[in-house]
Amino acid sequence: MILRGLIICFCVVPVLSGLAGIGFPAFGWFPPLGSEQFSFSFFIMLWDQPGLFQSLWLSLFTALVSTFLSYWLAMMLLAYLYDQSRSGWVFRFISPLLSVPHITVAVGILFLLQPSGWLFRFISPWLTGWDRPPDISLAPDLYGYALILGLTAKELPFLLLMGLSALSQIEVNALRDRAKLLGYGPVSGWFYVIQPLLSARMRMPVLIVMIFAVSVVDMAIVLAPSIPSTLAVRILEWFWDSDLEFQFIAASAAVLQLFLALLCCGIWFVFGAFLMRGLQMMSRRGIRFAVSPIAAQGLRLILLTLAVIPCLLSLVGLLAIIIWSFANVWRFPSFLPDVWGLRSWGYASGDLIQAGCNSLTLGFSAAALSVVIAIIWLENRHGKRWEGMIYIPLFLPQASFLFGLQMLLIWLRFDGAFLTLLWAHFLFVFPYVILSLASAWRRFDNRYLDVAASLGVSSWRRFLFIKLPMLMIPILTAFAVGFAVSSALYLPTVFASNGRYATLTTEAVTLAANASRQSLGVASVMQMTLPLVVFMGCDFYTRIWASRFRYFRRA
Amino acid sequence: MRIHNHTKHLMIIICCVVVSIFPFFMAKADDFSSISSQATGQTVYFNAWGGSPAINAYIRWVGKRVEEDYGITLVHVKLTETAGAVTRILAEKASGKVSGGSVDLIWINGENFATMKNNDLLQSADWVSGLPNFALTNPEKIPGIISDFGTPTDGLESPWGRAQLVFGYDSAYVATPPISAEMLAKWIKNNPGQFSYPKPPDFTGTSFLKQILLEVSPDRSVFSKPADQADIDQALMPLWQWLDQVHPYLWRSGKAFPANYTALVQLLGDGEISIAMAFNPTEFSNGISQGILPDTVRTYIHDDGTLANVHFVAIPFNAAAPEAAQVVANFLLSPEAQIHKADTAIWGDPTVLDLSKVSASDQAAFMALPRGVATLSETDLGLTLAEPHPSWVGVIEREWARRYTGQ
Repeated sequence: MILRGLIICFCVVPVLSGLAGIGFPAFGWFPPLGSEQFSFSFFIMLWDQPGLFQSLWLSLFTALVSTFLSYWLAMMLLAYLYDQSRSGWVFRFISPLLSVPHITVAVGILFLLQPSGWLFRFISPWLTGWDRPPDISLAPDLYGYALILGLTAKELPFLLLMGLSALSQIEVNALRDRAKLLGYGPVSGWFYVIQPLLSARMRMPVLIVMIFAVSVVDMAIVLAPSIPSTLAVRILEWFWDSDLEFQFIAASAAVLQLFLALLCCGIWFVFGAFLMRGLQMMSRRGIRFAVSPIAAQGLRLILLTLAVIPCLLSLVGLLAIIIWSFANVWRFPSFLPDVWGLRSWGYASGDLIQAGCNSLTLGFSAAALSVVIAIIWLENRHGKRWEGMIYIPLFLPQASFLFGLQMLLIWLRFDGAFLTLLWAHFLFVFPYVILSLASAWRRFDNRYLDVAASLGVSSWRRFLFIKLPMLMIPILTAFAVGFAVSSALYLPTVFASNGRYATLTTEAVTLAANASRQSLGVASVMQMTLPLVVFMGCDFYTRIWASRFRYFRRA
Repeated sequence: MRIHNHTKHLMIIICCVVVSIFPFFMAKADDFSSISSQATGQTVYFNAWGGSPAINAYIRWVGKRVEEDYGITLVHVKLTETAGAVTRILAEKASGKVSGGSVDLIWINGENFATMKNNDLLQSADWVSGLPNFALTNPEKIPGIISDFGTPTDGLESPWGRAQLVFGYDSAYVATPPISAEMLAKWIKNNPGQFSYPKPPDFTGTSFLKQILLEVSPDRSVFSKPADQADIDQALMPLWQWLDQVHPYLWRSGKAFPANYTALVQLLGDGEISIAMAFNPTEFSNGISQGILPDTVRTYIHDDGTLANVHFVAIPFNAAAPEAAQVVANFLLSPEAQIHKADTAIWGDPTVLDLSKVSASDQAAFMALPRGVATLSETDLGLTLAEPHPSWVGVIEREWARRYTGQ
């Protein structure tokens, strides 16, 4: 009860008031700038902004296509690889991408696909005859494909993880055996029987991914076309315009973005409903999609390739980043640096160490706080009904409430304090921690506790010495996820801290927009290292933990 | 006797004058020493564009020095867009935060200064003329020190450095650089895909548009007055005509633009383009020494001269540590900081000091700084164009966006 109240006070109320803080100026009411009349005039001005429709289309197109691709590729991967002993490498190969921040993936794709990027260096000049980069660009391109690629590479692993967690709540093997008995192949059986159950459980993660894609700023700055850019980037540009009238236009655009997000989700669910109806009709007619084993093998290869390409490109991009950070001179078309060296590390290290410490402190405290509160929340049996509230910050485009929230924080004199920043991170980290912890927690077999209770163990000791150790692996995973989320946050960091706490992400975005590839490379290397180290640390600890249990069992 | 009397009167008058002036001088020195004693232990949040590692490193050095000399902690808040900090100060004003603001010192000039001044976001009184080191500048020689894009600074911002638009070209691909807007247009058409400029409203991109505008306009005088006093469409028409004819021949056919000058210079280094520009005469030499540019790069300016201006630091009305901010501004103007800044190995930003006013040893130190292989001499940089009135910036940027967005 108290916890619920606290969560509402700390998560829901500020977000809603932030929303109001955007809503009023959008409709022209903002006394500090001398405007006290409600009107639609700023929406009309927004309408007149050059290229507004192109921006809207770009946001809609990239969000829908990237969500579609990452969702269905993740589903196909699950259908083909779930429970197959040899498939472990795919998951191991994809999971590092989960911890790498969006901006780093974007920079990697840039370093790989831009005209002077690694890809063209690889085929020049021996194949293409180019001794100068060509006047064509794969990233950033003019249509948003590079952004789609980046988002897909980043969201696919997340949806895969969410899918695995959802599957653990479904009796997959039993259902699959039954479908097999009825004469369905492994894949058609999967899509008729398991996919409907899985889709229902994937609704929330997909919504989160979709809304993130509509509102993403850092990745779009690097990969999206620039005239005009996506709506999210333009909102930021308008907010940062020195002509103060644009404050109102930006506020109106933030309201518009909210509707755009709604529209995207609407399209998604209508489309999904049609698809499910189609599946149902096919299953009623008993269509079994019987394919020869060779064709099935071929299909499987194609799908695997499709799913792996965005991730592979990103991983190669990450490698390019690492090499750039050690390049003193690297001219086109050399495939490797002409002069290797540590100069950029020396240049940037002072600032980056500070930023790295901030990222570390912030990530650790936000993740630890979230994990503790999440455990308390999940232990509270009535929590589930209210759980939707927690996700509100993820269901709203960031710009639509963060600007209003900044106003509120300044008004309360809370702006720029470390605790405020920690709280802003908590808003976004907590839902992800719950998301990754909840299913394991609810699946816990309470009979262990019953046995202990019957032996006279107090409830505190039962929790501390039985439940907690048995759930240590999901807890550590949730912590690592929380840390990764925190270290990737851009807008919330900028707005809650007044820019005073530089994190590796804010540094990287500043450098991505401005500085040389070498400096950007250094920042990005540090940025990918930090969450990866935390991930690996958790993984390592998990293994030790698991082996200890094995020892117990043997003994 | 009479003479004696006269002398006596004169003596009295002189004494009066001296006595009345003396405290004035004393007060100034006293003011500043009391300011710097108040400043000890304060933290200055210096909001400055953070996109250049070289400049960031310089600001870190300043932080170290003011810590040593004055016990001031300097925190560089790295901005992606300076106007973002201006907006934040505005939000603070809107919510009644009249003290303890988030910005103590901000790096600005031109349009942002005009915005801040017009919205009363700056300190209300002149603080710059009281800085001891401000006496080392010479506004008569460099009028830009007290007139920022034609807006009087009124002692509300303290000069930090000078900038001039220069073009850099790779001599491996360009034999003779085009030294006027007209020649540049011809060169672009003959060498498609090899020229671009940063996307306005980026500072350098907008400056390039202003440069072309001034060169191709039959009458430059309209631009020294506020834009609303002129027939804007007619005044800007020559610029749009010039751009319309070159855009199809730009890099990416004018459908994409680099984000700013660092991205543009990187393109020159990669060989994607052959001519770039920057708002710092030593930028290209720095690029060569950092390995970003090939050593075949050289610089030039247009024969009408190029835009030149001064950049400043200002203190917002609600700064939490205005005293320490003044001390930092004064340190930034010191010969030591200006020599360090002018060094191409550090940043290479030209000084705002008048060399005849600094000590002989500082003078020698300034003279001894290497200029870099691609940097023009002071005489070659002598031709400058005055910045248009700041109100033109917004007008040009909006119209550019209307014409060229999403084509």
